Amino acid sequence: MTERAATTDRTPARPARRRGIMAWVDVRGRRLGGWAFILNRVTGLGVLFYLYLHLVILSQLAVGPSAWDSLLKNWFLNPVFLVMDVVLLAGLLIHGLNGIRLTLVGFGLVVDRQRAMLLALGTIGAIMLVIGVLMFISHGG
Amino acid sequence: MNATYRSPAPHVVIVGGGGTGGALALDLVLRGIRVTLVERGEITSGTTGRHHGLLHSGARYAVNDAESAVECIEENQLLRRVAPGSFEENDGLFVGIDDEDMAYGEKLFTACGETGIPARWLTPAEALRLEPNLNPALKGAIQVPDATFDAMRLPLRWFATARSNGATIQPFCEVNELIVRDACVMGVRGRDHRTEKDFEIGADLVVNAAGPWAEKVAAMAGVDVPIQPSPGVLLALRGRLCNMVVNRMHKSGDGDIVVPQRALSIVGTSSWVVEDPDDLGVPEDHVQRMYAEGAKIIPAVRSAPFRQAWSAARPLIGSRGASTGRELSRTFKCFDHRESDGVEGFVTISGGKATTARAMAETTANVVSGKLGIDAPCRTRDTVLLPHTAYYAA
Amino acid sequence: MSDTTAFRVHRFKQGDEAPHHDRFEVPIGPRTTVLDALTAIRRTQDPSLTLRHSCFHASCGTCGMKVNDREVLACVTNVRELGSAEVVVEPLENAPVISDLVVDMGPFFARFNAADRPLVRESELVPGSHPAEGVPYAERYEDCIECGICVSACPIAGTDSTYLGPAALAAVDRVAEEPRGADVPFALRLADDPHGAWRCHLAFECTEACPSSVDPAGHIMKLRGSLIGRRWRRTPAEPVGARR
Repeated sequence: MTERAATTDRTPARPARRRGIMAWVDVRGRRLGGWAFILNRVTGLGVLFYLYLHLVILSQLAVGPSAWDSLLKNWFLNPVFLVMDVVLLAGLLIHGLNGIRLTLVGFGLVVDRQRAMLLALGTIGAIMLVIGVLMFISHGG
Repeated sequence: MNATYRSPAPHVVIVGGGGTGGALALDLVLRGIRVTLVERGEITSGTTGRHHGLLHSGARYAVNDAESAVECIEENQLLRRVAPGSFEENDGLFVGIDDEDMAYGEKLFTACGETGIPARWLTPAEALRLEPNLNPALKGAIQVPDATFDAMRLPLRWFATARSNGATIQPFCEVNELIVRDACVMGVRGRDHRTEKDFEIGADLVVNAAGPWAEKVAAMAGVDVPIQPSPGVLLALRGRLCNMVVNRMHKSGDGDIVVPQRALSIVGTSSWVVEDPDDLGVPEDHVQRMYAEGAKIIPAVRSAPFRQAWSAARPLIGSRGASTGRELSRTFKCFDHRESDGVEGFVTISGGKATTARAMAETTANVVSGKLGIDAPCRTRDTVLLPHTAYYAA
Repeated sequence: MSDTTAFRVHRFKQGDEAPHHDRFEVPIGPRTTVLDALTAIRRTQDPSLTLRHSCFHASCGTCGMKVNDREVLACVTNVRELGSAEVVVEPLENAPVISDLVVDMGPFFARFNAADRPLVRESELVPGSHPAEGVPYAERYEDCIECGICVSACPIAGTDSTYLGPAALAAVDRVAEEPRGADVPFALRLADDPHGAWRCHLAFECTEACPSSVDPAGHIMKLRGSLIGRRWRRTPAEPVGARR
């Protein structure tokens, strides 16, 4: 036998599909601006974490010259550390240069050319990163 | 959703959520009748949503179908009053390219005068000043009060206003069966595809407003309504090639109209007949014909970027035997099945065009009210409609 | 050339514990769109499939959905051009699902309607044209077709359920650009809110995804510029809230 339909046209059974905080790292279907958004967050957290590490390391200066020298020899000149320095530089460049774009566009300036600006800043950042890596290599050797 | 208990206000079920169904739902609730409308898909997902959006001045029909022309110009003026802010009101042009066109133009101008359609002749220079993209070889033009409307958003205003006046609108509810007892239709049965559960709705009267599917619905009551689905191809091009509607100044033919709509230009249309309104196809040669014919009035049609090509099925009333569909009448017809088939409680409305949906609904509502013994006048000529955005937010 | 493509379609009926995906093989031609494929599925394989559609030409905005993780209008999305062996079809994000591919547009319109932007705007003149005598300007519909694609693509709409959203904010900026009798101060106050124009983090996904060239993110930034400009121009001697 037939049943009465139990719903009206105004009752969705499930709450809205929302990606939630995972939207910050969900790269599926993302376009250029979406990648910049995700990278800004990731690098922001990354740089923040670096800042903490930096302070911890600098606090070793208070311990004395031998502690600092040991850090220098075993950590700072270690190739792994240099790679992490490159990652840090990349993160700073991404966050800083994209930040310039966000500041300008966010105030309603240069809005019509924001995509071009993003690509231009990205290119500048890539060049600066390469220069930075070369400087690391030449100083580190 | 009701069983068949007695109540002071009769309950009408409308099958079909196109423009006609929506306008009818509004007309009936404003007369104090309770309405439930069921539509198997999204509202206006049948023929209504697909047309090019022309608000007819009636000039297209003035020469050969004066009755349709008068219907059109009246609704044209009425709709601008009850649905303000829903039209691109830039007028339209009938453009004559050759001597044959210009001869037709003389008849057209006279016919407009006779049917009450405001019209004025323009020289080629005047026409090109208004619309520089017209074929520069045009010989003359007639300006008429055509306009553009959004094929979905205008009917949505009827649905929104009907709902706010108490009508129940149920999309995604597909009627599979009419409840018939002793040659009397007493309700509908079907499936609600949002829940995939069956429903049953009792009614004092059922209206079949299913457009090209009206024959299928009528068969559920054992009656034959001769509907010949007659599709036409439409072509949307990117770019606004004109602000006014541009028509070819000749007898109705393929590709003889370009309707601007938002940031697109719609070229239409063609005509053939099919059996199944759910399976229309988009014949490639018809699409090419749109380009070829459209380019005769606006050459830029040839090179405008393609957006989409699709088909829409006109619900033409008439018997089988028509070969293209252009022979069948474009007016509408309301069938009271007690008179035509001895089945009580069942009315079919079909035929017609988007511009005259409200008028179709008024005629049908008069028949429905008469059958239900409700003595209330039509109020849709004067009731200003809610905005279309009220439909989803209500 | 006979060709079929596999479609994996999000299915959900009210009362279900959770959604699932159904797989369909659909014959595809050179012009077949995702909407054609879905209506073919409904016609020949599964009449219980629910989806919204109306105009078939990117004008009504009802067929917005996610196809292979990107928001599109199904009616203008050519299947062959997607270039994938399997096409995944899901409903829009950041909206309640009614069934299958149908979402509840109520929350979208609740925000959009608050901006109260008129539907018809001034039209660009075709180059070289002049309006008819007695007609001050030609008119046309606003670009926005209220499809909800921008809201679906927006990462902020994904985390802030009270965010006004790109469509509503673009509508507010359109009111500021071309009032046509709308209440401009009211609309601007609506946007000048932590969950209004200031909530945007410039992902620009809305602008990239929009099928109708509305550029909602551009509008949000211009809105920010004008909101700041209005505050800046208010001199210190003038109390906040003074009328101009």
